[in-house]
Amino acid sequence: MEETALEVEAMSKTYRERGRQEVRAVDNVSFKVKQQEVVGLLGPNGAGKTTIIKCILGLMQPDAGEIRVFGQDVTKHYPRVLENMSAVLEGSRNLYWRLTAWENVLFFAGLSGISSRDTHDYFNYLIELFSLEDKKNVEVRKLSQGMKQKASIVCALARRTPLVFLDEPTLGLDVETSLELRQILKQLAQQEHRTIVVSSHNMDVIQDICQRVIILSGGRIMVDDHVDHLIKLFETRAYRIALDGHPSSELEEALAARFSSINMAAQKYGVEIKINLSDRDDIYLLMDMLRSHGAIIDEISHEDIDLERVFLEVVRRERDEYASGHSI
Amino acid sequence: MRLGTLFRTVFRRELTMMTRYAVNTVSSLVSIYILFVLIFLGMQRLSSTMAGEFLNDTLEGTIIGFFVWTFTIFAYSDLSWSLTGEAQAGTLEQLYLSPFGFRRVCACTVISTFLLNLIPHTVFLVAMMATTGHWLRLDVVSLLPLMAITVMGAYGFGFALGGLALVYKRIQALFQIVQFIFLACLVVPTRIPWVRFLPLSMGNSLIYDVMVQEKRLWELPPMSVLTALGVGAVYLAIGLIVFSRCECVAKQRGLLGHY
Repeated sequence: MEETALEVEAMSKTYRERGRQEVRAVDNVSFKVKQQEVVGLLGPNGAGKTTIIKCILGLMQPDAGEIRVFGQDVTKHYPRVLENMSAVLEGSRNLYWRLTAWENVLFFAGLSGISSRDTHDYFNYLIELFSLEDKKNVEVRKLSQGMKQKASIVCALARRTPLVFLDEPTLGLDVETSLELRQILKQLAQQEHRTIVVSSHNMDVIQDICQRVIILSGGRIMVDDHVDHLIKLFETRAYRIALDGHPSSELEEALAARFSSINMAAQKYGVEIKINLSDRDDIYLLMDMLRSHGAIIDEISHEDIDLERVFLEVVRRERDEYASGHSI
Repeated sequence: MRLGTLFRTVFRRELTMMTRYAVNTVSSLVSIYILFVLIFLGMQRLSSTMAGEFLNDTLEGTIIGFFVWTFTIFAYSDLSWSLTGEAQAGTLEQLYLSPFGFRRVCACTVISTFLLNLIPHTVFLVAMMATTGHWLRLDVVSLLPLMAITVMGAYGFGFALGGLALVYKRIQALFQIVQFIFLACLVVPTRIPWVRFLPLSMGNSLIYDVMVQEKRLWELPPMSVLTALGVGAVYLAIGLIVFSRCECVAKQRGLLGHY
């Protein structure tokens, strides 16, 4: 049986400040992460990703819930439990700008009791992996944003903890650097056999690096599934239908009323319909509706889908269910 | 886990930072030195109208007072400003991720800065003595423990204000007020009974005895040494309690990483 690296059970956190409205940042969240698994926390800003990570790391006090890291209760075994965890945190600089990249690596590893004498080769390996060898003796303040971010990740990895949190690792990076960093992280996840939790609002990052994704919205878990499975699941329900000619306004209204995810766009040949069906039988219903209104179907195909579409669909459904008063 | 590695790591960081910010450290000491020279010149002028002994006694007290004041200010500022600085820079949360615990990281920082501050401040002391021509006794064996006892109270204030800064953020004005409170504590004579319970006062008086009366540590009245130690320990304990409470509030409100 695969052992659990991280277990979060019924965690809740509400921000309270005098004179301000309470904000429920995390609402009864539970999940497990197996050892050597690479898991993504995906959600828009304010979804609760950073709060969850900071509560796990003991940097914030959750109002309720239990957190166990490698079987140890975080509250009871704090700070010793931090021997197993390291993190790069969003919005923090994570580094001393007046120290060089190498000095930062030595310092943050030393904070965990790791001496450079023991792991000099490993530090050099990380520096090379992140292409920082030419800049390792340069003060961090003189490095580019991308290099600073790479150096932050190296510092977190230098602690050699089996569980690593990367909170928005590509935030603020240009497209090229973001892509390069994603490739390094992907390689690292395969080589290092560590448990990695990546939080991001960028779907590409999660899709590239993670095996499993936890989609959060409003402090709650919407979906917790393997990325491939999730994409396949939505792929089988995502259709593109080309209609010859324009449908009647009556048909348009009927389709919009029945399928909230429908997207109709006028094309030269007629109309293109993109739709995500929540039920497999809905395709027959859709066909019946098109036929009964005299629409001529030119082409039907499965639509290519990525995590972004999955995410948007999940969030849309949550919004619909919330609006209709159902519990999710 | 090896505590020695943690201490070496923190000491190395402090040493590197000290050399990278050397201009800042030197300019602070130079400005205090200029202030001292101005006071010294004023005292010389005043002494021309008074008996010569007045200048000697006051000057020795002024040199020691200045030395103790600058040393404690540096020690206290290093702690309180570094806590706010780390929060501002975004490195504070990383320090909290040490499995040794933030308190041990802080303790290593305090000891490192104490040791490193001794070097420029000894130079400053020698410069003051050379300027005035009054050479005081530098008994390192007696002075080091007394300096440590004296700055304990200052560290208490450093922890308390650092903790308050974690919650209330911009309170630097309060940091500066405390520097003048320290000055007042050094000026008030310890023959007034309650003054002994002020931070720095008793320690400063004992340092005076070592440097001017040329007493060794073990020749000092044990009750006075114990009082200085007790007062320092109480202020330090209060500072740590305040810091601990503020740390809890900061963790509840999620303020550790904010500034």
